[in-house]
Amino acid sequence: MPEKVKVVNEWLCVCSGCEISLLNIHEKLLNLLDRIEIVHSPVLMDVKEIPEADIALVSGGVRNWENVEVLKEVREKCRILIALGSCAAFGGIPGLGNLFSREELLRKVYIDTKSTDNPNKVLPCKEVPPLTKMVAPIWKVVKTDYVIPGCPPEADLIWDALSSLLDGKEPCLSTRTVCDECPLKKEEKKEIKVVKRWYEASEGFDPERCLLEQGFVCMGPATRAGCGAKCPQAHVPCRGCMGPAATQADQAASMIGALGFLEVDPELLVKKVADPVGLFYRYTLPSAIIPRYVEDRGGETR
Amino acid sequence: MSKVVEVKPVTRIEGHAKIKIWLDEEGNVKDAHFHVLEVRGFERFLIGRPIEEAPLIVPRICGICYTCHHLASAKAVDAYFGLQPEDLPETANMLRELMLMGNFIHSHSLHFYALAAPDFIVGPDADPRERNLVGVIKKAPEIAKNAIRLRAVGIKITEIVGGKAVHPVTAIPGGVSKGLTEEERQKLLPDVKWAVEFSKETVELCKQLIDKYIDLVKNVGVLRTYHLGMVDDHGVHQLYHGKLRFVDPDGNIAAEFPYHQYLDYIAERVEEYSYLKFPYFKKAGWPNGIYRVNTLSRLNVADKMPTPLAQEYFEELRRTWGKPIHNTLLYNLGRCIELLECAERSLEFLENPKITGSNLRVPVKPRSGEGIGVVEAQRGTLIHHYAADAEGLITDSNIIVATVQNNPAFDRLMCEESKKFIKGGQINEGLLNRLEMLIRAYDPCLSCATHTIAGHYPLVIEVVDDRDRLIAKLSNLE
Repeated sequence: MPEKVKVVNEWLCVCSGCEISLLNIHEKLLNLLDRIEIVHSPVLMDVKEIPEADIALVSGGVRNWENVEVLKEVREKCRILIALGSCAAFGGIPGLGNLFSREELLRKVYIDTKSTDNPNKVLPCKEVPPLTKMVAPIWKVVKTDYVIPGCPPEADLIWDALSSLLDGKEPCLSTRTVCDECPLKKEEKKEIKVVKRWYEASEGFDPERCLLEQGFVCMGPATRAGCGAKCPQAHVPCRGCMGPAATQADQAASMIGALGFLEVDPELLVKKVADPVGLFYRYTLPSAIIPRYVEDRGGETR
Repeated sequence: MSKVVEVKPVTRIEGHAKIKIWLDEEGNVKDAHFHVLEVRGFERFLIGRPIEEAPLIVPRICGICYTCHHLASAKAVDAYFGLQPEDLPETANMLRELMLMGNFIHSHSLHFYALAAPDFIVGPDADPRERNLVGVIKKAPEIAKNAIRLRAVGIKITEIVGGKAVHPVTAIPGGVSKGLTEEERQKLLPDVKWAVEFSKETVELCKQLIDKYIDLVKNVGVLRTYHLGMVDDHGVHQLYHGKLRFVDPDGNIAAEFPYHQYLDYIAERVEEYSYLKFPYFKKAGWPNGIYRVNTLSRLNVADKMPTPLAQEYFEELRRTWGKPIHNTLLYNLGRCIELLECAERSLEFLENPKITGSNLRVPVKPRSGEGIGVVEAQRGTLIHHYAADAEGLITDSNIIVATVQNNPAFDRLMCEESKKFIKGGQINEGLLNRLEMLIRAYDPCLSCATHTIAGHYPLVIEVVDDRDRLIAKLSNLE
């Protein structure tokens, strides 16, 4: 029997959804395990130190200094490093934390929340790793060979990427957008006259029709295909979890471009898109080209 | 403040959780703490987001119990719009609850077969490299295949009802975005029927595990605390909607209240050594009011189960162990009984013609105010609380997750158990395994807890003498 390919799975600032999605290949996991040996995976097995391996699947972005150390160790020990999921690839939802300083984040969680009883204003600071100034995608810290985007990446997408690598082929991602694979009906009329908040979808809502054309800001035009356009098909607008499409560098810039192309009234847009950063950069703020720098009192400035 | 924002690279701290044990001058255990090393700050960065987006953001708190966060959030958002579950269309509530059942089937089966069962099937003394799901696949391929299939049923329910297998999207303000078609119902029915059968086998397997380790179950991790869980008006065990009930360490009802009053009953302390907070039952104060949540706690507060097979096992549990049960290792059995309940409930929903109804949502209008949503997550009571302005932008948020509520009990258990193994500065073998076993029984989801990591715990135990000098370091990391 040929020697099995050794795979390391490590997680940084995560929710573990990427690992669950990997398990969601279900019975195909048994076939996969014929070809690979998972030598390190906190979710699947009793954890040992990180051994040398052929492939590393790293989920999660970098949020604290322990993440940095672990990531560097994985890079040193593994030949191919793959960013698994949108946190590793772009920073992901925890990246919205970059809108605030570390102090603001900790103050809210440990002092200002309603149920917190903390009269001496104690903050966790002993035996816990300090936060980095910003959440970062892993490629800002180490060289990253491939990316499997998604929050989480669909199980089939992970399966396809791993199968390609095991067959000695380059794993490749779709070059299209979510709109290209979305089956909802588009009338291709350019002008969009109304813009609605998502909770306003009750009267006159047509579940078969393109959400954007009905006035709901859907991130489909600015988002890479590969998820199967599942959210729009469940009648929920895309929020861009696959990150920017192949030829696009900055997801928010692309989305604003797409809305301009659709001739959406800018005034209406400003009025109805109450939180442009949280919508257009929901998954990609830490890798955005127009980054936001936050003054972090007491810390070094970047 | 400067203590926290001082940034310097630290040497790697092994694992996302560790335990530190302090000894006194005689070398006996003085104190022990469970340290959790992650925090992300969801409660801060939700502020400023439109409230209807919250159910699409918060599932990322946890990649295992995402549906619980999605639904607790959706309920909080409904409440902000002035709606309670009884105001929603019946089909919408049924679909939401079915989605939740799917998540329980996935999570409870994952925990039992990936964490608890390997000790049993592969053996507790087996090579750690084999003592995992992969080891189960090698040693008992049939059980492993069925375990994978059972979890797949839960995931399939989530995918069909929730729109996505992980991080579902269909619970929206006032209802659900998508109904269940007859074709989809037919797709799920045979799988769910099978899941009821195999869940029953899982309870039986778990009972064998309990019998095999009966001495451990009776003597390890027995801690008298309060327990918290959700019940309906008739005291029946509920996961999606109901009121909250505390029972005291003797099993008497200590408080019963609609969940929007949680601030009158629960407060959270902060300690310097962990990113987890320390909740307690306010009426009993700190530290008397230490309480536990999770599977066994829910069974401790309930008078009855909602489904027939789960009820049989519930009665057997009460007959054998009484009420309330404080034995930590029985959380595993409680988990399997709930797994069966969720499979039965799913079948009930799918056999009810109303599940394919087309009335899915009621219209909503923003207003300035607050909303509180609570569901039972796999690991215990989950609370989401938001305030928003007249534009529907979030101005404040508070999230209390399940694992955090077990944190104070954890610390206490670590302390009590280590006393049995450390005397006069001598550390006896078995300490590491024992503490690890206790942690696993709670299935703590540190992902959730720090609004970060789940699964299996790379464990490091540091023993420190009365002058804070490290005298021993034990680890399950090789």
